[in-house]
Amino acid sequence: MKALVLVKWVIGIAAIGGGLTFFMVQAMQSSWSYYYTVDEFVSGSEKIRNAPVRLAGKVKPGTAVKDMQTLRLTFTLAGKEAEIPVAYTGIVPDNFAEDIEVVVQGRLEPSGTFKADSVMTRCESKYKAKVE
Amino acid sequence: MIACGQFALLLAFFLSGYAVFADIAGSWRREAGLIKSARNATWATLLCLTVAMAALWVLLIGSDFSVVYVAENTSLHLPLAYKFSALWAGAAGSLLFWLWLQVGFGVIAWCIGERHNRIFAARARAIVNFVSMFFLLIMINDRNPFETSPSPLAEGQGLNPLLQHPAMVLHPPILFVGYAAFLVPFAWAYAWLKEPAGLAPMLKAARNWTLVAWLFLTAGIVLGAWWAYEELGWGGYWAWDPVENASLLPWLTSTALLHCFRLYKTRSGVAVWTMVLGILTFSLCIFGRFLTKYGLVSSVHAFPDPGLGILYMVLLVLLWVVAGVLIAMKYLGRKESVEPAAPAHRYVVYNNWLLVALTFVILVGTLFPFLTQVAIRIVNAVSTTPASIAPVTLEPSFFTRITAPGGLLLLFFIGACPHLIRRGVSVHWRVMAGVACLAAAAIVWLRTCGLDAPRPEGFAAVMGWWAQWLLSGEPQVPYFILCGYVFVNLIADLAGRTAGRGLRWYGARIVHFGVAMMFIGIAGSGGYGVETAVAMTEGQKITIQNALAETEGKKTAIPNYELTFDKLQGDHGPNYTAATAVISVSKDGKPVTTLRPAKAVYSPSGKAISEIDVRRTLAGDLYLAVTDVNVSARMINLRVMVKPLINWIWIGSGFMAIGTLMVIGAVLKPKQKAGVQSAEAAP
Repeated sequence: MKALVLVKWVIGIAAIGGGLTFFMVQAMQSSWSYYYTVDEFVSGSEKIRNAPVRLAGKVKPGTAVKDMQTLRLTFTLAGKEAEIPVAYTGIVPDNFAEDIEVVVQGRLEPSGTFKADSVMTRCESKYKAKVE
Repeated sequence: MIACGQFALLLAFFLSGYAVFADIAGSWRREAGLIKSARNATWATLLCLTVAMAALWVLLIGSDFSVVYVAENTSLHLPLAYKFSALWAGAAGSLLFWLWLQVGFGVIAWCIGERHNRIFAARARAIVNFVSMFFLLIMINDRNPFETSPSPLAEGQGLNPLLQHPAMVLHPPILFVGYAAFLVPFAWAYAWLKEPAGLAPMLKAARNWTLVAWLFLTAGIVLGAWWAYEELGWGGYWAWDPVENASLLPWLTSTALLHCFRLYKTRSGVAVWTMVLGILTFSLCIFGRFLTKYGLVSSVHAFPDPGLGILYMVLLVLLWVVAGVLIAMKYLGRKESVEPAAPAHRYVVYNNWLLVALTFVILVGTLFPFLTQVAIRIVNAVSTTPASIAPVTLEPSFFTRITAPGGLLLLFFIGACPHLIRRGVSVHWRVMAGVACLAAAAIVWLRTCGLDAPRPEGFAAVMGWWAQWLLSGEPQVPYFILCGYVFVNLIADLAGRTAGRGLRWYGARIVHFGVAMMFIGIAGSGGYGVETAVAMTEGQKITIQNALAETEGKKTAIPNYELTFDKLQGDHGPNYTAATAVISVSKDGKPVTTLRPAKAVYSPSGKAISEIDVRRTLAGDLYLAVTDVNVSARMINLRVMVKPLINWIWIGSGFMAIGTLMVIGAVLKPKQKAGVQSAEAAP
């Protein structure tokens, strides 16, 4: 008797778990992006460079340009060795600044510019005071 | 002062270690003397922690920058309130504060007047002290709040102006009260595993603790969301960030735990659920801390600094091993049987499964980058070709889509279960209405599903296509339908039988009313919210529909506000200068209000913060944020958002709090009415 109950439990959990997993995987399809550093991405394969990705790097000083009329932001995202130009139209976080770590999410365009759908900065629960 | 604090922490570590030993030995050998000394040791631990906290406060308020923690979290001219709240602003201080709360709650639960069963209390207390030991180990060796710097700075680094906001001051301590309080049901669960009957006299207390902890956790989460909406300027309140999810996961399991108490009977299936959920909830609190502080998953909130953070996982694993051993001893050794469940129990169990499923889904989604990293390492270790993928992050859209159906089911349960528990499934209008609402919601959902891709061939691909099609539905109207079902049920409850009503009855209904309101707010603002960004020069006028048409190219049903950028003016404050855009808002030609979003630069840091301005109505918010200012050209970039029904989220959470207070008040009353109110625990 007990074995039957156990079997029912196992089948039930497997079925629900399987269904849940299936839906989760499906929900992930259009929600996932690979997470790379700039260096990994630039030196990566064709397949990597064509996928939607999140890139982590630093905003290279002197490269951030915001056009207030078109609301377009361009800057160079720098890794340790490689760098990549980024173009973004949309909402920029308040604490976006040069030389800080950002994560951009989007795709690489054929032109070689990375078109970002979003730009994320760190929520700073502490910041370093500017070195005078 | 510094030495005092260090010594206090060290002493607390040894005291709690002794208390664990004494409690376990005392309960095993039934020696009252050992148990009493363990109790005293726990009191003494609390005293040491209080001394440590007081010492840290003195250092913070006195701005002693030779202490690293003080230098990192305060500055000389920081307002006193923020120097005070800096206690919980950083990792080390927050750990001390959390631990102090935990031991304090442990003392209240098991050191004051545990007349009922000293041995039961001793076991629970041992767990509390065991956890304390680990926390203290981490604190003393790795995150020491009293660590001094070899070269102290003259001025501290101060507090980010974004965090100088009342909600941000209250949000961490309220959350910590919730997390710490969940240690009490957790410890009780362990004591129960050893001696199930021992819980019965304390069931009311256990329920109270869980209610209070749940209230604080809910309040903490809502405060965080409120702050994000008010201060961060992106118009959202929840981003499914790992840190946010870390607080949501114990909330889900503790909600399930709360409902288990209602039908608790010792040795029943629900009792097992109660214990499992009690253990799971606090485990998730600790796991959440580990997740965010140890940097398992990167998050915009997380500041990974691994150190001894792995000890959190060690603690969890040890505790689970102990639980596993206890369960094995109980159920496998003596072949104890579980009582057959009463029919009413099954609805609580369904509810539990739903909440646990949601917890599982959100947990996996949050951990996904880490899991993919592990998978990559395994693939790299096992096969010769390196894995061609990178760690995967899941966008917030994953979470919103996968939890949407779950939320609908939850609402259905809220509406139907009170009736189902009492009367079971029958041809009753409430059951019929519930089924009808679910069907209507499903129909509306299916009608909004849309997928451009052509249907593929092959079984797996077709299944995938169907799943994608289902996931693409818009949940707003289904949510409104089911919230309506909940409201109808609540109204019918009010109009129905008056027997057995009390504070608890009303309180529970008010909480559920609040939940339904929150879902209306979430569905409305999420589903019908619009946002756009425009460039405006002084004197320029735009209408929202036009701005949206340019950027989004879609029609919406929101009111067509006209925004006129009147002028750009400069403001000064004690520590900031601001450029304020004065914007007149009108609708259909009639002036409605004037909003003043600004961009403020705070002087010590030079950081620019966007100060939003919002027009709030019950129907929705008009939310304006200045993202960029060009003073010479008198030009601004303005982010415009319309968030329909969003205020119902805050109003709903208020009702949840009021209802919970009512239930707590009812449960605190000495005598309970027999019968209709909660089931008494039968030994």
